[in-house]
Amino acid sequence: MIWVLIERDLRTLVKSPFILINRTIFFLIQLFVFAVLVSKLASSLGFNYFDFYSVGAVVSTITSIAFIIGEDLFEEEELGLLDYLLSLPFGHSLFVIGRALGGAVRGLIYVTPMMILVAYLDGYFSPAGIAGSLIVVFVLATGISGLSITLAMLIRNANRFDIMIALAELATVRVSAAIYPLAYMPKPLQPVATYSPVTSASDIVRSLFLPGYQSGVYEMVILVLFLAVFFGLGSAFLFRKIEGGRFE
Amino acid sequence: MIVFKDVSKSFKGFLAVKDVTCEINDKEVFGLLGPNGAGKTTLIMTMATVYRPTKGEVIVDGHNASLESDKVKSLIGISFQDPKYDRILSAREILEWHGKVTGVEKTVRDKRIDEVLAKFGLMAESRKRTWTLSGGTKKKIENAKVFVQRPKVAVFDEPTAYLDVPSRLMVWEMIDELRDEGSTVLLATNMMDEADRMSDRVGIMNKGEMVQVGEPAKLRGGLRGRDIIEMKLEVPIPELPGEVSKTEEVKEARFEGDTLKIVLSNGRGLLPYLINVVTAKGGKVQSVSLKEPTLEDVFLHYTGMKLS
Repeated sequence: MIWVLIERDLRTLVKSPFILINRTIFFLIQLFVFAVLVSKLASSLGFNYFDFYSVGAVVSTITSIAFIIGEDLFEEEELGLLDYLLSLPFGHSLFVIGRALGGAVRGLIYVTPMMILVAYLDGYFSPAGIAGSLIVVFVLATGISGLSITLAMLIRNANRFDIMIALAELATVRVSAAIYPLAYMPKPLQPVATYSPVTSASDIVRSLFLPGYQSGVYEMVILVLFLAVFFGLGSAFLFRKIEGGRFE
Repeated sequence: MIVFKDVSKSFKGFLAVKDVTCEINDKEVFGLLGPNGAGKTTLIMTMATVYRPTKGEVIVDGHNASLESDKVKSLIGISFQDPKYDRILSAREILEWHGKVTGVEKTVRDKRIDEVLAKFGLMAESRKRTWTLSGGTKKKIENAKVFVQRPKVAVFDEPTAYLDVPSRLMVWEMIDELRDEGSTVLLATNMMDEADRMSDRVGIMNKGEMVQVGEPAKLRGGLRGRDIIEMKLEVPIPELPGEVSKTEEVKEARFEGDTLKIVLSNGRGLLPYLINVVTAKGGKVQSVSLKEPTLEDVFLHYTGMKLS
């Protein structure tokens, strides 16, 4: 039954080709124009920016897609679609889990070809390693979905919600080591970025794909904690709203 | 059987449904009447476990809606007043997903989807995104979800709103078929002809309360004595109201312009006698109409309000 719920999220994603094409073009331009150019500039420093950025581009893309689930939920409530979904024969708990996982699964399906392309470009060919990297970004995406659901449940005004989602996306991606190395970030942001789950996910995947990069238990703990906190919070807020009759 | 036991539902202190007690029998079409805001949809949502009752309980086929919501939801299919589905998807995709999520087996589902789409004349548009379709077509797709699901308890909230006459007749026919197959149908409407034609029994809701429940014919019959005869005369004759009021069945008689308006019981039986009285007094009758109580009058009687 949970798969049927997730399937709905996938169907709606596939039917939004503009979003898919837009994000794919953005990804490819960032990778083959931006990253190539910056890599040439950074080559004098002995730093392969292309390899570094390629992984970060996949991680930031899945982060961005996982945020959509909150927008979907917000819209569903505004349009009254939530009444329909809640009248269907599955428990409220299953509904909550299904929505959070749905956001992550569609992100995962979307970035899998990107991840394989990046692994190929980085010269990494281990199927087990690629599978591992996909698990890492799936964990991140589930946590991001939880964060997005939490915001959707806490904010009632549509404009405020749009602004908050944009800010949250900006903060999670830009204040992290997805796009640039921590050492080159403004000093005040470095401590925040160090604990960012996006940094952790990027570092773990880099340590798998690229020689010279390391990650360990520390990054895994941050990622799992982020997942636990926001999956839990998002689920709890959504569940509370549903069980309370939503308007009480 | 669906049982509402002393059900109330409030939202932030606003009592949307108040102490509703009523039973809906298996395999009957139960019309739920009331103006907008009467509490019909809230009552339906409480039965469908979307809302928890603030007080009381709803029992559907022996299952408590609050305690066994999964079982109750598996019995119910709802066609909402405003279409509720992903408008980015096509009619076929919507019906496929709805059928799948409500447990309709694939071969049966595919067959039913084709049948329902064909009946509604939606085959050509079945793969278009539904946001591009007209209001009536969107409503047909909303109804089609329940016809594909064929649940034990089928709920239709204003099923013929936005529909043209042939489509309306088609929906009525399909609801009849559902009932014939064994479904219990809850039909929320504020269209009197629809309720009268479709319902075995109706419940009248007003301001959150269930003010009356009964068979349409019996409810109308309960208003006997409220027939109205309107006789248009060439020239009004002042003594006529007093003359016709000598008959015991006449409750009230007065002129409105050149029309003699008589409120009475058994209007059909007394009509020839009254025409005789009028002509005997020199009245020249130009036209006569007899109005017997309708469900609209029943509603007016119990609520003091007009539905439309």
